[in-house]
Amino acid sequence: MSRALGLAAGTEATVLTVRGPETFRVSGTVDGPGVYLSDADAAALAEGVRVIGVVTEPGADVAAVASAVRAAAGAQGRVYTGEARGALESRDDERTRWIGMQVLTGMTVLSAFVSVFVVASTFAFGVAQRRREFGLLRAVGATPRQVRRMVYGEALVVGGVAAACGVALGAVLGPSLGELLVAAGFEPVGFEVRVSAPPLAGAFAVGVLVALLGVWSAARRAARVRPLEALREAAVDDRPMPRGRWIAGAGFCALGVAAAFGAAVAGPEGLVTSGLYAAMAMIVGVALLAPAVVPFVARALTWPLNRGRGALGMLVRESALTAIRRTASTATPVLVTVGFAVLITGMVQTTAASFAAARTTTIRTEAVIMPDGVPGLSDAAAAASGGESALFSALYEANGEALSAIGATPALLERAGEVRAVSGSPAALGGDRVFVSPWLAKERGLRAGSALRVAFEDGTPGTLRVEGVAEGVGADVLLARDTVRAHDKAALADVAYVARATPVPPGMGARPADLDTYAAQADADEDRLVWTFTLLLVAVSTAYAAVAVANTLMMAAGGRLRDLRVLRLSGATSRQVLGTVAAESALAVILGTGLGLVVAIPALLGLRSGYGDLIGRHVPLVVPWGLIAAVAATCLVLAATAAVLASRPALTVRERPHVRTGVTVKRRRDGSEIPR
Amino acid sequence: MDVKETVRLWSVRRLYGTADRTVRALDGVTASFHPGTLTAVMGPSGSGKSTLLHCAAGLDRPTEGKVVIDGTDLGELDETGLTLLRRERVGFVFQAFNLVSALTAEQNVALPLKLAGRPIAPAEARAALAEVGLAERAGHRPSGLSGGEQQRVAIARALITRPAVLFADEPTGQLDTKTSRQVLGMLRDLVDNQAQTVIMVTHDPVTASYADRVLFLADGRLVDEFTTGVTAEAVAARMANLEAVASC
Ligand SMILES: Nc1ncnc2c1ncn2[C@@H]1O[C@H](COP(=O)(O)OP(=O)(O)O)[C@@H](O)[C@H]1O
Ligand SMILES: [Mg+2]
Repeated sequence: MSRALGLAAGTEATVLTVRGPETFRVSGTVDGPGVYLSDADAAALAEGVRVIGVVTEPGADVAAVASAVRAAAGAQGRVYTGEARGALESRDDERTRWIGMQVLTGMTVLSAFVSVFVVASTFAFGVAQRRREFGLLRAVGATPRQVRRMVYGEALVVGGVAAACGVALGAVLGPSLGELLVAAGFEPVGFEVRVSAPPLAGAFAVGVLVALLGVWSAARRAARVRPLEALREAAVDDRPMPRGRWIAGAGFCALGVAAAFGAAVAGPEGLVTSGLYAAMAMIVGVALLAPAVVPFVARALTWPLNRGRGALGMLVRESALTAIRRTASTATPVLVTVGFAVLITGMVQTTAASFAAARTTTIRTEAVIMPDGVPGLSDAAAAASGGESALFSALYEANGEALSAIGATPALLERAGEVRAVSGSPAALGGDRVFVSPWLAKERGLRAGSALRVAFEDGTPGTLRVEGVAEGVGADVLLARDTVRAHDKAALADVAYVARATPVPPGMGARPADLDTYAAQADADEDRLVWTFTLLLVAVSTAYAAVAVANTLMMAAGGRLRDLRVLRLSGATSRQVLGTVAAESALAVILGTGLGLVVAIPALLGLRSGYGDLIGRHVPLVVPWGLIAAVAATCLVLAATAAVLASRPALTVRERPHVRTGVTVKRRRDGSEIPR
Repeated sequence: MDVKETVRLWSVRRLYGTADRTVRALDGVTASFHPGTLTAVMGPSGSGKSTLLHCAAGLDRPTEGKVVIDGTDLGELDETGLTLLRRERVGFVFQAFNLVSALTAEQNVALPLKLAGRPIAPAEARAALAEVGLAERAGHRPSGLSGGEQQRVAIARALITRPAVLFADEPTGQLDTKTSRQVLGMLRDLVDNQAQTVIMVTHDPVTASYADRVLFLADGRLVDEFTTGVTAEAVAARMANLEAVASC
């Protein structure tokens, strides 16, 4: 550090401390990180010693040492050993871990959900393709139960193999994912993934379970195939959609809309997760309704194709309409992904925009002072610009539980405008008279006049008197600023409110900003994390959809090679055949994208108007269209590629054994000659 | 008659409701089929032959009337009961699509026993295939068998459970003359040598001439019956007459 800053022993250095800029003399350099001060200087700047580490010799009896330390500390402190030391984790790390937990939970829930979906739609398609086979089995003596068990059995085998592959891959890639999570800021530094058996076994079980859940409806449908269906020429499934499915579809859509409003009220903490659930419900609903909706929309969408003169347009339209099941099975995963991507990204960005808008509405000053490249504002920085700031600190209950605390003055509350007293008057704030948040009041049964026994950041015990309950504090307890400062010398502020923009003297680590800038940047870090999380979710769902789309098209291609050969024999060039196939799959993807937008946009508009009403201001609807276009394009390219690749075998029209100079040349299926 | 019937139908009606009208596919058919006989059901296209067969075999349920197979009233069975009866007492051969394409000939033949959860000796399925002259084709999948071979595998599969009655719906409909004769000859032998009861739907007089008895259907009703003098010519003449009536 001395080298980087050009400091040698004896020179003077000005550093920014919690009290503002201070000058120290460099007395020497060490090979450790940071700056070392004398105990006296450090004590003046720090909040006091909260943790004392005990380093034991190798082979020492930890339990004996612990009990000795316990005896020495008495009622003054707690002793933690081994795993229990986790209780001392810094609150930042704890919060980061909490975020990481949210991210991992969100991804797991989404993956499971999408997998169930993909399995369900793949098996539904498979069963539809195999109706005649199931009919035949039923005719020769398979009971409905046997047919159902057979489908479950297939899912179990496929699911088991896939889950085993997934678990192996997970075990190999897990540690790298851990590093990625740390790099993205979702886990604290030092977090690492250790591969152990129980989670792998759990993941395997979940994988198999997901396969069985996904196959539930397909198995029921297979069991309902009547024996007479063995006699039908083509496996047309022209039965109308059952009533139950209509009801369930509509129900899920309604639930999704309700959950979207719920997400709007949930606040930033639960936003992504509740948004996730809203999107999932909505998508289940629309996917359930898809068989009824897809034919109708497909007809409308392809109408222009019928008017053109080329054969290709006609072919694409007719085969998309007759193979409505294939079209629906391709469109549904795209619908799910695009709908999901629009909903979740739109929700997150619209919410961020509305929070920013809300902040500018509540603040009653024209400008603020913000930290500039430092963790927070010192009192000196706030005072230098004539601003008022709140202090963040912590209080500890008797059991060691930490409560977040904010120190403010009645005048400051007036300026910031965010705090609203549910009971009591904020003017009474001062000394040991405090306000508590509604949840703390509820949890601890606190009312005006109750006493709250706590220890301050510096370890001093004290009793606070509850003056009232206040909302929008941003912490559990609202104290007088002076009280916080008296017990926490190191507390810093996020922002200082000033009447109008005033320049801040240099070296204070602070800069002035207008309200819009502040509003946009206040949650920048948090927003970045939320956005990364959102992108991860979108990436996961896009990957699943791509797999599902490719899968469906491959399966469908196998069943129609003969049709394509007929097309080829009736004079279509290879190019025309592949063009038709690619255009058909593109059509299905466009259809899915359109439906996805139709699902998501109303929910987003609802969300926006909800926010608008909440804060009494216009909130812009923000949807990252570029990202959505990328998602749709990924599906499009994959679908066309899969369809074309799977249809290639139809291009080589099989030759009959033919006579050449009196010798019958036998050919294999692929056209190569069989040696005699 | 002192011999008990294997299959008996009483006033069987089967209506199909379509959007604009109701089709009376079967309009009150009463008939009985005796053990060890080969009966042909004939009639113009759309006269209800297949419907009759499906109702008699427990593949479909009549709208009205009663069907009894081997002493069991099908109306009293639920879906699973009906399935078990088909598995144990009834065999089928359809016009096409008789075999599960993923299974070999041998596996297809063994399928009903497997579904019944009965232990099956490998020799059993092979013996059944040998009976229809396909011992050496046991390992082939349906895609590797000719149409006639597929129908013979289907017959072997239908017979493996020793059913009380074998139903066949146009079993030779997609076969050439020579293969048809082979398959029909095989059915005839089953009746003559093993006293198998066979009910067969056809619209081909030559096929019908292999039968002991011919029933004529028109518009869902039984209109005639030959029990003696079943020759291709006589059947053809009766059919021509029926078709002329149908086309008026
Ligand atoms: N599933 C069905 N739905 C509606 N009508 C049917 C159905 N099956 C058969 N039919 C009608 O019932 C009549 C008899 O059919 P079918 O028994 O197949 O005749 P056949 O086998 O003698 O040609 C025909 O008019 C046919 O259109
Ligand atoms: Mg018929």
